[in-house]
Amino acid sequence: MKNIILRGILLIISFVFVWFIFSQINWTSILKVDKATEKTEEKLGELFWNVIKSNETVNKNPFVIQSVDSIVTRITTENKINKNKLQVHIIESNEINAFALPNGHIIILTGLINASENPEELSGIISHEIAHLELNHVMKKLIKEFGLTAIISISSGNTGAEIIKEMTKLISSSAFDRSMEKEADLKAVEYLVNANINPESFADFLYKLSDKENKYSKYTTWISTHPESKKRATYIINEVDNKVIKSIPILSPNTWNRLKEETQIKIN
Amino acid sequence: MECHERTMTNTLTFQSKPSEHEAEKASNSYVMSLVALMAGLPLPIINLIATLAFYIANKKGTYFVRWHCTQALFSQLSLLFINSFGFWWTISIFITQKDTINNNYISYILVVILFNLIEFIATIYSAIQTRKGIHVRWWFYGDIADLICKP
Repeated sequence: MKNIILRGILLIISFVFVWFIFSQINWTSILKVDKATEKTEEKLGELFWNVIKSNETVNKNPFVIQSVDSIVTRITTENKINKNKLQVHIIESNEINAFALPNGHIIILTGLINASENPEELSGIISHEIAHLELNHVMKKLIKEFGLTAIISISSGNTGAEIIKEMTKLISSSAFDRSMEKEADLKAVEYLVNANINPESFADFLYKLSDKENKYSKYTTWISTHPESKKRATYIINEVDNKVIKSIPILSPNTWNRLKEETQIKIN
Repeated sequence: MECHERTMTNTLTFQSKPSEHEAEKASNSYVMSLVALMAGLPLPIINLIATLAFYIANKKGTYFVRWHCTQALFSQLSLLFINSFGFWWTISIFITQKDTINNNYISYILVVILFNLIEFIATIYSAIQTRKGIHVRWWFYGDIADLICKP
């Protein structure tokens, strides 16, 4: 009996051992899994961005671009994220929204900049979108919404322009699942703390916009796609409580005021 | 009459050679798991159900038949665990999207394929040998069969 148990254990050990040896080989690189995924993502990002570019007004104001870029640079540098992977675009719109597209595209609507009371609030949302990209949520969401076959078919150019347009609309206006949102929120807090930006502003922003009575309620797409904002604000605050935060201003008051002026859109 | 018993390392001598009918039944227990394995892929449970059904059907068979049914059943049982794990891991990647394709997953699937292949070859070999009336004894599984089956 003892012999049988010993042999059984030996069999299990041999299985785990062979698995361990096999896992030392970089299969994803050999089988070009990463490259295939990267190519698909690249193509999808390009397709979606082209739809947005041709249907919306892209803000090309150098001051706006530079100001937002300095926020992105602080977050990425302090968190060792390759900034070259990210492509931040500013779109003229009343909507308070920001979203991420495959291949590192981050779309920020001017309405969001305008609704933020300080650069820290805007940094919170940008960090949240970077977190979605870094955690590969965008591709996961796309596969979940449309299926792997459809995604491969789209990226290989076998889908009509109308369908891609509809997909872009959906991806910019639908939510990630709750666990992904929480994961991105907590990651955003981590990014903000590392970048010496107080994450409490991020929580404040969520709390403020979740209030249905606020003056922006007509335009809060970001909140409608990110439900349970009050709950989220609470767990962000709880997360912040455990951390030592060194707060260094990200934009000077003058720069921030000018950025808001430049992106000012009359709210009806 | 004498029957040879083959283990992974040596050949032993048994006291009596099984009859033609017994050899056929014992051999079928392996064939059964092979056919079910091919038919049931990628669902890992089918081969076990088939082998289990054959085992129950031959519960009152001769010692030789019962012994081989037991060996076939337990070898399938261990495959069930590793295959099931691989199956649900695959589901979590491609259907529920809770995981992504990574080195650990690819290595696991390759080891599962390797172990299934070894089992597949061993099963074919056992089916052929037992059909000839030769008692094939697997490392570890033969011990379990000894423990469960009494003459």
